[in-house]
Amino acid sequence: MGMVQPGSHPTEGSDPDEQLGGPTVVRMLLGTQLRRFREASGITPDEAGYEIRATRFKISRLENGRVGFKERDVADLLTLYGVTDEQVRERMLALTRQAGTPGWWAQYSDLLPDWFETYLGLEQAASLIRTFELQFVHGLFQTEDYARAVMVLGHRAAPADEIDRRVSLRIKRQDLLSRPKPPRVWSVMDEAVLRRPVGGREVMRSQLRRLLEVTELPHVTLQVVPFRYGGHAAAGGSFTILRFGDPDLPDVVYIEQLTSALYLERRDDVDHYMEVMNRLNAEARTPTDTASFLSEMIRSV
Amino acid sequence: MTSEGSAQAHDWLDDAGSGTPESPTFDTSVAHIARVYDYWLGGKDNYAADRAAGDAALQAYPDLASSVRVNRAFLARVVRYLTAEAGIRQFLDIGTGIPTSNNTHEVAQSVAQDSRVAYVDNDPIVLSHARALLTSNPKGATDYIDADLRDTDRILAEAARTLDFTRPVAIMLIAILHLIGDEDDPAAIVARLLDAVPPGSYLAISHVASDIEPEKMAEMRERLNRMVSQKGTYRTQAEVSSFFSGLELVPPGVVRIQEWRPDAELEAKRPAAMWGGIGYKR
Repeated sequence: MGMVQPGSHPTEGSDPDEQLGGPTVVRMLLGTQLRRFREASGITPDEAGYEIRATRFKISRLENGRVGFKERDVADLLTLYGVTDEQVRERMLALTRQAGTPGWWAQYSDLLPDWFETYLGLEQAASLIRTFELQFVHGLFQTEDYARAVMVLGHRAAPADEIDRRVSLRIKRQDLLSRPKPPRVWSVMDEAVLRRPVGGREVMRSQLRRLLEVTELPHVTLQVVPFRYGGHAAAGGSFTILRFGDPDLPDVVYIEQLTSALYLERRDDVDHYMEVMNRLNAEARTPTDTASFLSEMIRSV
Repeated sequence: MTSEGSAQAHDWLDDAGSGTPESPTFDTSVAHIARVYDYWLGGKDNYAADRAAGDAALQAYPDLASSVRVNRAFLARVVRYLTAEAGIRQFLDIGTGIPTSNNTHEVAQSVAQDSRVAYVDNDPIVLSHARALLTSNPKGATDYIDADLRDTDRILAEAARTLDFTRPVAIMLIAILHLIGDEDDPAAIVARLLDAVPPGSYLAISHVASDIEPEKMAEMRERLNRMVSQKGTYRTQAEVSSFFSGLELVPPGVVRIQEWRPDAELEAKRPAAMWGGIGYKR
Protein backbone atom coordinates (compact mmCIF):
# COMPACT_ATOMS: atom_id res chain seq x y z
CA MET A 1 0.00 0.00 0.00
CA GLY A 2 1.69 3.12 -1.17
CA MET A 3 -0.28 5.97 0.20
CA VAL A 4 -0.64 6.87 3.82
CA GLN A 5 -3.06 9.61 4.62
CA PRO A 6 -4.43 9.31 8.09
CA GLY A 7 -8.17 9.55 8.12
CA SER A 8 -8.47 8.96 4.40
CA HIS A 9 -10.44 5.76 4.96
CA PRO A 10 -13.58 5.87 7.08
CA THR A 11 -12.54 3.00 9.34
CA GLU A 12 -9.10 4.44 10.00
CA GLY A 13 -7.79 7.26 12.07
CA SER A 14 -10.04 6.63 15.04
CA ASP A 15 -7.95 3.89 16.60
CA PRO A 16 -5.71 5.41 19.28
CA ASP A 17 -3.10 2.66 18.66
CA GLU A 18 -2.45 4.11 15.24
CA GLN A 19 -1.11 7.30 16.77
CA LEU A 20 1.78 5.45 18.42
CA GLY A 21 5.24 6.54 17.43
CA GLY A 22 7.87 4.09 18.67
CA PRO A 23 10.95 2.56 17.10
CA THR A 24 9.72 2.34 13.59
CA VAL A 25 12.14 -0.19 12.28
CA VAL A 26 11.09 -2.67 14.95
CA ARG A 27 7.50 -2.29 13.80
CA MET A 28 8.58 -2.75 10.19
CA LEU A 29 10.49 -5.92 11.00
CA LEU A 30 7.57 -7.22 13.00
CA GLY A 31 5.21 -6.36 10.14
CA THR A 32 7.43 -8.07 7.56
CA GLN A 33 7.52 -11.23 9.71
CA LEU A 34 3.76 -11.19 10.20
CA ARG A 35 3.21 -10.86 6.46
CA ARG A 36 5.49 -13.85 5.84
CA PHE A 37 3.62 -15.98 8.36
CA ARG A 38 0.26 -14.89 6.93
CA GLU A 39 1.27 -15.61 3.34
CA ALA A 40 2.79 -18.95 4.29
CA SER A 41 -0.51 -19.98 5.89
CA GLY A 42 -2.53 -18.83 2.85
CA ILE A 43 -4.69 -16.48 4.89
CA THR A 44 -6.04 -13.33 3.20
CA PRO A 45 -5.76 -9.85 4.74
CA ASP A 46 -9.57 -9.83 5.10
CA GLU A 47 -9.53 -13.04 7.14
CA ALA A 48 -6.66 -11.76 9.25
CA GLY A 49 -8.48 -8.47 9.79
CA TYR A 50 -11.63 -10.29 10.90
CA GLU A 51 -9.64 -12.22 13.51
CA ILE A 52 -8.56 -9.03 15.26
CA ARG A 53 -11.80 -7.15 14.66
CA ALA A 54 -10.26 -4.83 12.08
CA THR A 55 -10.10 -4.37 8.32
CA ARG A 56 -7.67 -5.56 5.71
CA PHE A 57 -6.44 -1.94 5.57
CA LYS A 58 -5.39 -2.20 9.17
CA ILE A 59 -3.59 -5.48 8.41
CA SER A 60 -1.79 -3.86 5.52
CA ARG A 61 -0.69 -0.96 7.69
CA LEU A 62 0.43 -3.33 10.44
CA GLU A 63 2.44 -5.35 7.95
CA ASN A 64 4.05 -2.17 6.62
CA GLY A 65 5.02 -1.19 10.14
CA ARG A 66 3.07 2.04 9.91
CA VAL A 67 1.03 1.60 13.09
CA GLY A 68 1.54 0.19 16.56
CA PHE A 69 0.57 -3.33 17.58
CA LYS A 70 -1.40 -4.64 20.52
CA GLU A 71 0.22 -7.67 22.07
CA ARG A 72 -3.10 -9.51 22.08
CA ASP A 73 -3.58 -8.87 18.35
CA VAL A 74 -0.14 -10.22 17.51
CA ALA A 75 -0.78 -13.31 19.66
CA ASP A 76 -4.15 -13.89 17.95
CA LEU A 77 -2.66 -13.46 14.48
CA LEU A 78 0.19 -15.88 15.23
CA THR A 79 -2.36 -18.46 16.36
CA LEU A 80 -4.44 -17.88 13.23
CA TYR A 81 -1.32 -18.31 11.08
CA GLY A 82 -0.53 -21.58 12.81
CA VAL A 83 2.66 -20.31 14.49
CA THR A 84 2.87 -22.51 17.57
CA ASP A 85 6.60 -22.58 18.28
CA GLU A 86 6.81 -20.96 21.71
CA GLN A 87 10.24 -19.45 21.03
CA VAL A 88 9.10 -17.78 17.84
CA ARG A 89 5.93 -16.50 19.50
CA GLU A 90 7.87 -15.12 22.45
CA ARG A 91 10.35 -13.36 20.17
CA MET A 92 7.50 -11.77 18.20
CA LEU A 93 5.76 -10.63 21.39
CA ALA A 94 9.00 -9.21 22.78
CA LEU A 95 9.40 -7.22 19.56
CA THR A 96 5.82 -6.01 19.98
CA ARG A 97 6.59 -4.65 23.44
CA GLN A 98 9.76 -3.00 22.15
CA ALA A 99 7.83 -1.40 19.29
CA GLY A 100 5.48 0.21 21.77
CA THR A 101 8.17 2.39 23.38
CA PRO A 102 7.59 5.99 22.31
CA GLY A 103 10.28 7.89 20.39
CA TRP A 104 12.09 10.96 21.71
CA TRP A 105 9.79 13.19 19.67
CA ALA A 106 6.73 12.18 21.72
CA GLN A 107 7.12 15.40 23.74
CA TYR A 108 6.50 17.38 20.56
CA SER A 109 3.53 15.33 19.43
CA ASP A 110 1.13 18.27 19.74
CA LEU A 111 3.08 19.96 16.92
CA LEU A 112 3.44 16.91 14.74
CA PRO A 113 0.88 15.69 12.28
CA ASP A 114 1.06 11.90 12.38
CA TRP A 115 2.21 11.72 8.75
CA PHE A 116 5.35 13.56 9.82
CA GLU A 117 5.78 11.54 13.00
CA THR A 118 5.98 8.48 10.77
CA TYR A 119 8.75 10.15 8.80
CA LEU A 120 10.73 10.93 11.95
CA GLY A 121 10.56 7.29 12.94
CA LEU A 122 11.74 6.15 9.53
CA GLU A 123 14.52 8.73 9.41
CA GLN A 124 15.82 7.59 12.81
CA ALA A 125 15.74 3.97 11.66
CA ALA A 126 17.32 4.45 8.23
CA SER A 127 20.86 3.36 7.40
CA LEU A 128 21.00 5.48 4.22
CA ILE A 129 19.04 8.67 3.60
CA ARG A 130 19.11 10.02 0.04
CA THR A 131 17.40 13.34 -0.57
CA PHE A 132 16.75 15.74 -3.40
CA GLU A 133 15.93 19.31 -2.39
CA LEU A 134 14.56 21.90 -4.76
CA GLN A 135 13.52 24.66 -2.37
CA PHE A 136 15.13 24.60 1.07
CA VAL A 137 18.24 23.19 2.70
CA HIS A 138 17.42 19.73 4.11
CA GLY A 139 16.15 19.80 7.70
CA LEU A 140 19.11 17.75 8.93
CA PHE A 141 21.53 20.49 7.82
CA GLN A 142 19.63 23.66 8.73
CA THR A 143 21.10 26.18 11.15
CA GLU A 144 18.83 27.37 13.90
CA ASP A 145 18.30 30.77 12.25
CA TYR A 146 17.59 29.27 8.86
CA ALA A 147 15.17 26.77 10.43
CA ARG A 148 13.42 29.63 12.21
CA ALA A 149 13.03 31.57 8.95
CA VAL A 150 11.56 28.49 7.25
CA MET A 151 9.19 27.86 10.18
CA VAL A 152 7.92 31.43 10.11
CA LEU A 153 7.21 31.07 6.40
CA GLY A 154 5.19 27.94 7.01
CA HIS A 155 3.37 28.99 10.21
CA ARG A 156 2.74 32.71 9.91
CA ALA A 157 0.06 32.78 12.57
CA ALA A 158 1.97 30.71 15.10
CA PRO A 159 2.90 32.32 18.46
CA ALA A 160 6.61 32.80 19.18
CA ASP A 161 6.86 29.96 21.70
CA GLU A 162 5.41 27.50 19.21
CA ILE A 163 7.97 28.58 16.60
CA ASP A 164 10.67 28.09 19.25
CA ARG A 165 9.52 24.55 19.91
CA ARG A 166 9.32 23.75 16.21
CA VAL A 167 12.88 25.01 15.77
CA SER A 168 14.10 23.04 18.77
CA LEU A 169 12.47 19.86 17.40
CA ARG A 170 14.27 20.38 14.10
CA ILE A 171 17.62 20.91 15.82
CA LYS A 172 17.04 17.89 18.07
CA ARG A 173 16.39 15.82 14.94
CA GLN A 174 19.92 16.61 13.82
CA ASP A 175 21.32 14.63 16.78
CA LEU A 176 21.13 11.65 14.49
CA LEU A 177 24.14 12.98 12.57
CA SER A 178 26.33 12.81 15.67
CA ARG A 179 25.05 9.61 17.27
CA PRO A 180 27.44 6.63 17.55
CA LYS A 181 26.31 4.75 14.44
CA PRO A 182 24.92 7.53 12.27
CA PRO A 183 23.11 6.87 9.00
CA ARG A 184 24.75 7.88 5.75
CA VAL A 185 23.11 10.98 4.36
CA TRP A 186 23.51 11.65 0.65
CA SER A 187 21.82 14.86 -0.32
CA VAL A 188 21.48 16.54 -3.69
CA MET A 189 20.33 20.15 -3.84
CA ASP A 190 19.30 22.25 -6.73
CA GLU A 191 21.48 25.34 -7.01
CA ALA A 192 18.32 27.40 -6.28
CA VAL A 193 18.46 26.16 -2.67
CA LEU A 194 21.81 27.91 -2.25
CA ARG A 195 20.80 31.09 -4.10
CA ARG A 196 17.54 31.77 -2.27
CA PRO A 197 18.42 34.03 0.69
CA VAL A 198 16.07 32.51 3.29
CA GLY A 199 16.23 34.69 6.41
CA GLY A 200 18.45 37.26 4.69
CA ARG A 201 22.10 37.53 3.72
CA GLU A 202 23.68 36.85 7.13
CA VAL A 203 21.48 33.87 7.90
CA MET A 204 22.23 32.48 4.48
CA ARG A 205 25.97 33.02 4.82
CA SER A 206 26.01 31.05 8.09
CA GLN A 207 23.84 28.39 6.49
CA LEU A 208 26.31 28.01 3.62
CA ARG A 209 29.15 27.73 6.16
CA ARG A 210 27.20 25.04 7.97
CA LEU A 211 26.78 23.13 4.69
CA LEU A 212 30.49 23.36 4.05
CA GLU A 213 31.13 21.99 7.56
CA VAL A 214 28.87 18.99 7.05
CA THR A 215 30.72 18.07 3.86
CA GLU A 216 33.61 17.26 6.21
CA LEU A 217 31.57 14.58 8.01
CA PRO A 218 32.60 11.15 6.76
CA HIS A 219 29.00 9.92 6.59
CA VAL A 220 27.56 12.97 4.80
CA THR A 221 27.74 13.62 1.06
CA LEU A 222 26.43 16.81 -0.54
CA GLN A 223 26.03 17.48 -4.24
CA VAL A 224 24.68 20.53 -6.07
CA VAL A 225 22.86 20.35 -9.38
CA PRO A 226 24.07 23.42 -11.26
CA PHE A 227 21.69 25.80 -12.99
CA ARG A 228 23.44 25.23 -16.27
CA TYR A 229 21.68 21.91 -16.63
CA GLY A 230 18.66 23.31 -18.40
CA GLY A 231 16.42 20.78 -16.71
CA HIS A 232 16.85 17.67 -14.68
CA ALA A 233 15.28 14.34 -14.06
CA ALA A 234 13.33 15.37 -10.96
CA ALA A 235 10.52 17.23 -12.69
CA GLY A 236 8.27 16.34 -9.77
CA GLY A 237 10.12 18.14 -6.98
CA SER A 238 11.83 17.25 -3.72
CA PHE A 239 11.82 13.69 -2.41
CA THR A 240 13.67 11.39 -0.03
CA ILE A 241 14.58 7.71 -0.32
CA LEU A 242 15.14 5.87 2.94
CA ARG A 243 17.02 2.59 3.10
CA PHE A 244 17.16 0.28 6.11
CA GLY A 245 19.96 -2.03 7.15
CA ASP A 246 17.82 -5.15 7.21
CA PRO A 247 17.90 -6.79 3.77
CA ASP A 248 14.23 -7.72 4.10
CA LEU A 249 13.03 -4.15 4.47
CA PRO A 250 12.21 -2.35 1.24
CA ASP A 251 13.34 1.18 0.48
CA VAL A 252 10.73 3.84 1.18
CA VAL A 253 10.21 6.99 -0.90
CA TYR A 254 8.92 9.96 1.07
CA ILE A 255 7.33 12.94 -0.64
CA GLU A 256 6.12 15.78 1.52
CA GLN A 257 3.14 17.88 0.55
CA LEU A 258 1.59 20.87 2.27
CA THR A 259 -0.89 18.98 4.44
CA SER A 260 0.11 15.34 4.03
CA ALA A 261 2.83 13.09 2.71
CA LEU A 262 3.22 10.14 0.40
CA TYR A 263 5.11 7.02 1.44
CA LEU A 264 5.85 4.82 -1.56
CA GLU A 265 7.28 1.37 -1.17
CA ARG A 266 5.89 -0.57 -4.13
CA ARG A 267 8.87 -1.84 -6.05
CA ASP A 268 7.80 -0.09 -9.30
CA ASP A 269 7.43 3.27 -7.58
CA VAL A 270 10.68 2.96 -5.66
CA ASP A 271 12.55 1.89 -8.82
CA HIS A 272 11.27 4.96 -10.62
CA TYR A 273 12.39 7.37 -7.92
CA MET A 274 15.68 5.52 -7.52
CA GLU A 275 16.35 5.97 -11.21
CA VAL A 276 15.65 9.71 -10.97
CA MET A 277 17.88 10.02 -7.91
CA ASN A 278 20.67 8.11 -9.66
CA ARG A 279 20.49 10.47 -12.61
CA LEU A 280 20.59 13.49 -10.32
CA ASN A 281 23.65 12.11 -8.51
CA ALA A 282 25.41 11.46 -11.80
CA GLU A 283 24.54 14.90 -13.24
CA ALA A 284 25.31 16.93 -10.14
CA ARG A 285 28.68 18.36 -9.19
CA THR A 286 30.83 15.75 -7.48
CA PRO A 287 31.08 15.98 -3.67
CA THR A 288 34.57 17.49 -4.01
CA ASP A 289 33.40 20.09 -6.53
CA THR A 290 30.40 20.85 -4.36
CA ALA A 291 32.67 21.72 -1.43
CA SER A 292 34.72 24.13 -3.55
CA PHE A 293 31.52 25.59 -4.99
CA LEU A 294 30.23 26.24 -1.46
CA SER A 295 33.51 27.91 -0.45
CA GLU A 296 33.30 30.21 -3.45
CA MET A 297 29.69 31.07 -2.71
CA ILE A 298 30.51 31.93 0.89
CA ARG A 299 33.17 34.35 -0.35
CA SER A 300 30.79 35.96 -2.83
CA VAL A 301 27.61 36.29 -0.69
CA MET B 1 39.50 17.22 -9.29
CA THR B 2 39.01 20.83 -10.19
CA SER B 3 35.99 22.98 -9.73
CA GLU B 4 34.26 22.94 -13.06
CA GLY B 5 32.33 26.16 -12.73
CA SER B 6 32.34 29.46 -10.95
CA ALA B 7 30.01 30.31 -8.14
CA GLN B 8 29.11 33.62 -9.71
CA ALA B 9 25.42 33.95 -10.31
CA HIS B 10 25.59 35.49 -13.77
CA ASP B 11 27.17 32.62 -15.62
CA TRP B 12 24.26 30.19 -15.53
CA LEU B 13 23.54 30.47 -19.17
CA ASP B 14 27.10 30.40 -20.42
CA ASP B 15 27.27 26.73 -21.17
CA ALA B 16 23.66 25.79 -20.73
CA GLY B 17 22.25 22.70 -22.32
CA SER B 18 25.36 20.59 -21.98
CA GLY B 19 22.79 17.99 -21.08
CA THR B 20 22.84 14.64 -19.48
CA PRO B 21 25.67 12.16 -19.82
CA GLU B 22 24.13 9.10 -21.42
CA SER B 23 25.22 5.63 -20.44
CA PRO B 24 23.88 2.10 -20.37
CA THR B 25 23.01 2.36 -16.68
CA PHE B 26 20.60 5.15 -17.41
CA ASP B 27 18.63 2.74 -19.52
CA THR B 28 17.00 0.67 -16.82
CA SER B 29 15.00 -1.38 -19.35
CA VAL B 30 18.15 -3.32 -20.25
CA ALA B 31 20.03 -5.30 -17.61
CA HIS B 32 23.40 -3.85 -16.54
CA ILE B 33 26.03 -6.18 -15.12
CA ALA B 34 26.83 -3.99 -12.09
CA ARG B 35 23.17 -3.96 -11.05
CA VAL B 36 22.71 -7.67 -11.81
CA TYR B 37 25.69 -8.36 -9.56
CA ASP B 38 24.10 -6.17 -6.86
CA TYR B 39 20.93 -8.27 -7.20
CA TRP B 40 22.86 -11.55 -6.77
CA LEU B 41 24.47 -10.11 -3.66
CA GLY B 42 21.06 -9.28 -2.18
CA GLY B 43 21.42 -5.52 -2.73
CA LYS B 44 18.61 -3.08 -3.38
CA ASP B 45 20.13 -1.10 -6.27
CA ASN B 46 18.64 -3.04 -9.15
CA TYR B 47 15.65 -2.89 -11.48
CA ALA B 48 13.17 -5.32 -13.04
CA ALA B 49 15.36 -6.07 -16.10
CA ASP B 50 18.35 -6.75 -13.83
CA ARG B 51 16.34 -9.09 -11.63
CA ALA B 52 15.01 -10.95 -14.68
CA ALA B 53 18.52 -11.47 -16.07
CA GLY B 54 19.79 -12.33 -12.60
CA ASP B 55 17.07 -14.96 -12.15
CA ALA B 56 17.70 -16.46 -15.60
CA ALA B 57 21.37 -16.91 -14.67
CA LEU B 58 20.46 -18.36 -11.26
CA GLN B 59 18.27 -20.96 -12.95
CA ALA B 60 21.17 -22.04 -15.13
CA TYR B 61 23.65 -22.12 -12.25
CA PRO B 62 21.87 -22.11 -8.86
CA ASP B 63 25.16 -21.86 -6.94
CA LEU B 64 25.71 -18.41 -8.41
CA ALA B 65 24.29 -16.74 -5.29
CA SER B 66 27.04 -18.47 -3.33
CA SER B 67 29.64 -17.80 -6.01
CA VAL B 68 29.29 -14.00 -5.90
CA ARG B 69 29.51 -14.00 -2.09
CA VAL B 70 32.56 -16.25 -2.21
CA ASN B 71 34.07 -13.73 -4.63
CA ARG B 72 33.50 -10.87 -2.15
CA ALA B 73 35.10 -13.01 0.57
CA PHE B 74 38.05 -13.71 -1.75
CA LEU B 75 38.44 -9.96 -2.33
CA ALA B 76 38.52 -9.36 1.43
CA ARG B 77 41.10 -12.13 2.05
CA VAL B 78 43.28 -10.87 -0.79
CA VAL B 79 43.23 -7.28 0.47
CA ARG B 80 43.92 -8.44 4.01
CA TYR B 81 46.83 -10.56 2.82
CA LEU B 82 48.26 -7.72 0.74
CA THR B 83 47.94 -5.18 3.54
CA ALA B 84 48.81 -7.27 6.59
CA GLU B 85 51.34 -9.74 5.18
CA ALA B 86 52.76 -8.08 2.05
CA GLY B 87 52.82 -4.53 3.45
CA ILE B 88 50.96 -3.01 0.48
CA ARG B 89 49.41 0.42 1.08
CA GLN B 90 48.29 1.36 -2.45
CA PHE B 91 45.50 -0.27 -4.44
CA LEU B 92 44.33 0.27 -8.00
CA ASP B 93 40.87 -1.35 -7.93
CA ILE B 94 39.42 -1.59 -11.44
CA GLY B 95 35.75 -2.50 -11.81
CA THR B 96 34.48 -1.09 -8.54
CA GLY B 97 30.84 -2.04 -8.95
CA ILE B 98 27.97 -0.80 -6.82
CA PRO B 99 29.25 -0.42 -3.26
CA THR B 100 28.43 -3.33 -0.96
CA SER B 101 30.11 -4.48 2.24
CA ASN B 102 33.85 -5.17 2.63
CA ASN B 103 34.92 -2.72 -0.04
CA THR B 104 38.63 -2.62 -0.80
CA HIS B 105 39.49 0.53 1.17
CA GLU B 106 37.43 -0.60 4.16
CA VAL B 107 39.32 -3.88 4.43
CA ALA B 108 42.69 -2.24 3.73
CA GLN B 109 42.14 0.64 6.14
CA SER B 110 40.96 -1.75 8.85
CA VAL B 111 44.49 -3.19 8.74
CA ALA B 112 46.45 -0.03 7.84
CA GLN B 113 44.62 3.29 8.17
CA ASP B 114 46.92 5.03 5.71
CA SER B 115 45.98 2.76 2.80
CA ARG B 116 45.17 4.55 -0.45
CA VAL B 117 42.74 3.22 -3.03
CA ALA B 118 42.00 4.45 -6.55
CA TYR B 119 38.65 3.02 -7.67
CA VAL B 120 38.06 2.78 -11.40
CA ASP B 121 34.76 2.19 -13.18
CA ASN B 122 33.30 3.22 -16.51
CA ASP B 123 29.77 3.71 -15.30
CA PRO B 124 28.54 7.12 -14.08
CA ILE B 125 26.09 5.67 -11.59
CA VAL B 126 28.61 3.30 -10.08
CA LEU B 127 31.01 6.26 -9.85
CA SER B 128 28.55 8.61 -8.18
CA HIS B 129 27.79 5.86 -5.65
CA ALA B 130 31.48 5.27 -5.08
CA ARG B 131 32.17 8.99 -4.55
CA ALA B 132 29.33 9.23 -2.03
CA LEU B 133 29.69 5.92 -0.21
CA LEU B 134 33.30 4.75 -0.52
CA THR B 135 34.83 7.54 1.49
CA SER B 136 38.23 7.20 3.09
CA ASN B 137 39.18 7.71 6.69
CA PRO B 138 41.25 10.91 7.08
CA LYS B 139 44.62 9.11 7.31
CA GLY B 140 44.25 7.28 4.01
CA ALA B 141 42.78 8.31 0.68
CA THR B 142 40.26 7.16 -1.90
CA ASP B 143 39.82 8.48 -5.40
CA TYR B 144 37.44 7.64 -8.22
CA ILE B 145 38.39 7.38 -11.87
CA ASP B 146 35.97 7.34 -14.76
CA ALA B 147 37.61 5.02 -17.26
CA ASP B 148 37.20 1.75 -19.09
CA LEU B 149 39.63 -1.07 -18.29
CA ARG B 150 40.74 -1.00 -21.95
CA ASP B 151 41.87 2.62 -21.54
CA THR B 152 44.96 1.89 -19.46
CA ASP B 153 46.65 5.20 -20.33
CA ARG B 154 43.82 7.16 -18.80
CA ILE B 155 43.61 4.89 -15.76
CA LEU B 156 47.33 5.23 -15.05
CA ALA B 157 47.43 8.98 -15.65
CA GLU B 158 44.51 9.65 -13.32
CA ALA B 159 45.55 7.13 -10.67
CA ALA B 160 48.77 9.11 -10.25
CA ARG B 161 46.68 11.74 -8.42
CA THR B 162 46.35 9.34 -5.51
CA LEU B 163 48.96 6.60 -5.94
CA ASP B 164 52.72 6.93 -5.99
CA PHE B 165 53.89 4.74 -8.87
CA THR B 166 57.46 4.69 -7.59
CA ARG B 167 56.21 2.55 -4.67
CA PRO B 168 54.50 -0.87 -4.82
CA VAL B 169 50.86 -0.96 -5.94
CA ALA B 170 48.37 -3.82 -5.90
CA ILE B 171 46.40 -4.00 -9.15
CA MET B 172 43.00 -5.49 -8.36
CA LEU B 173 41.09 -7.08 -11.25
CA ILE B 174 38.30 -8.76 -9.33
CA ALA B 175 35.53 -10.27 -11.47
CA ILE B 176 36.20 -7.85 -14.32
CA LEU B 177 38.48 -9.50 -16.92
CA HIS B 178 35.67 -11.82 -18.08
CA LEU B 179 33.98 -8.68 -19.44
CA ILE B 180 36.91 -8.19 -21.84
CA GLY B 181 36.58 -10.36 -24.94
CA ASP B 182 39.59 -11.97 -26.58
CA GLU B 183 39.33 -9.44 -29.44
CA ASP B 184 40.35 -6.73 -26.94
CA ASP B 185 43.45 -8.71 -25.89
CA PRO B 186 43.02 -8.81 -22.11
CA ALA B 187 46.59 -10.13 -21.63
CA ALA B 188 47.99 -6.98 -23.25
CA ILE B 189 45.81 -4.82 -20.99
CA VAL B 190 47.14 -6.61 -17.90
CA ALA B 191 50.72 -6.29 -19.21
CA ARG B 192 50.37 -2.52 -19.75
CA LEU B 193 49.13 -2.08 -16.17
CA LEU B 194 51.99 -4.20 -14.82
CA ASP B 195 54.55 -2.20 -16.78
CA ALA B 196 53.50 0.92 -14.89
CA VAL B 197 54.12 -0.44 -11.40
CA PRO B 198 57.52 -0.99 -9.76
CA PRO B 199 59.02 -4.28 -8.52
CA GLY B 200 57.37 -5.32 -5.26
CA SER B 201 53.91 -4.72 -6.73
CA TYR B 202 51.12 -7.31 -6.91
CA LEU B 203 48.39 -8.35 -9.34
CA ALA B 204 45.18 -9.92 -7.98
CA ILE B 205 42.64 -11.54 -10.29
CA SER B 206 39.38 -13.39 -9.90
CA HIS B 207 37.77 -14.64 -13.08
CA VAL B 208 34.58 -16.52 -13.98
CA ALA B 209 35.50 -20.10 -14.96
CA SER B 210 34.50 -21.97 -18.10
CA ASP B 211 35.90 -25.29 -16.85
CA ILE B 212 34.13 -25.61 -13.50
CA GLU B 213 30.58 -26.98 -13.94
CA PRO B 214 31.11 -26.36 -17.69
CA GLU B 215 27.57 -27.12 -18.93
CA LYS B 216 25.90 -24.96 -16.34
CA MET B 217 28.37 -22.13 -16.88
CA ALA B 218 27.92 -22.25 -20.66
CA GLU B 219 24.17 -22.05 -20.24
CA MET B 220 24.51 -19.19 -17.76
CA ARG B 221 26.84 -17.27 -20.08
CA GLU B 222 24.47 -17.71 -23.00
CA ARG B 223 21.51 -16.43 -20.99
CA LEU B 224 23.38 -13.45 -19.56
CA ASN B 225 24.89 -12.49 -22.90
CA ARG B 226 21.38 -12.42 -24.35
CA MET B 227 20.00 -10.21 -21.58
CA VAL B 228 22.85 -8.04 -20.27
CA SER B 229 24.54 -5.28 -22.26
CA GLN B 230 28.09 -6.22 -21.10
CA LYS B 231 29.07 -9.54 -22.72
CA GLY B 232 30.98 -12.17 -20.77
CA THR B 233 33.84 -14.45 -21.83
CA TYR B 234 34.52 -17.20 -19.29
CA ARG B 235 37.98 -18.77 -19.21
CA THR B 236 39.83 -21.91 -18.12
CA GLN B 237 42.31 -22.22 -15.26
CA ALA B 238 45.17 -22.25 -17.81
CA GLU B 239 43.87 -19.12 -19.55
CA VAL B 240 43.50 -17.26 -16.24
CA SER B 241 46.97 -18.40 -15.16
CA SER B 242 48.45 -16.94 -18.36
CA PHE B 243 47.50 -13.41 -17.19
CA PHE B 244 50.16 -13.82 -14.50
CA SER B 245 52.99 -14.52 -16.95
CA GLY B 246 56.26 -12.98 -15.79
CA LEU B 247 55.06 -12.82 -12.19
CA GLU B 248 55.81 -15.06 -9.24
CA LEU B 249 52.56 -16.68 -8.05
CA VAL B 250 51.85 -16.40 -4.35
CA PRO B 251 50.95 -19.89 -3.02
CA PRO B 252 48.64 -21.67 -3.59
CA GLY B 253 48.69 -20.18 -7.12
CA VAL B 254 45.69 -19.84 -9.40
CA VAL B 255 43.00 -21.96 -7.74
CA ARG B 256 39.27 -22.03 -7.11
CA ILE B 257 38.71 -18.77 -5.21
CA GLN B 258 37.17 -20.51 -2.20
CA GLU B 259 40.38 -22.52 -1.84
CA TRP B 260 42.68 -19.50 -1.92
CA ARG B 261 43.90 -19.20 1.70
CA PRO B 262 40.45 -19.81 3.24
CA ASP B 263 39.93 -18.60 6.80
CA ALA B 264 38.03 -21.77 7.67
CA GLU B 265 37.52 -25.23 6.25
CA LEU B 266 33.86 -24.49 5.76
CA GLU B 267 34.70 -21.48 3.62
CA ALA B 268 36.79 -23.63 1.27
CA LYS B 269 33.77 -25.86 0.62
CA ARG B 270 31.31 -23.15 -0.41
CA PRO B 271 30.43 -23.48 -4.10
CA ALA B 272 31.84 -20.96 -6.59
CA ALA B 273 32.86 -21.21 -10.23
CA MET B 274 35.73 -18.75 -10.40
CA TRP B 275 39.51 -18.91 -10.61
CA GLY B 276 41.67 -16.55 -8.63
CA GLY B 277 45.18 -15.80 -7.45
CA ILE B 278 47.86 -13.22 -6.70
CA GLY B 279 51.13 -12.62 -8.53
CA TYR B 280 54.23 -10.77 -7.28
CA LYS B 281 56.38 -8.59 -9.54
CA ARG B 282 60.11 -9.12 -8.89
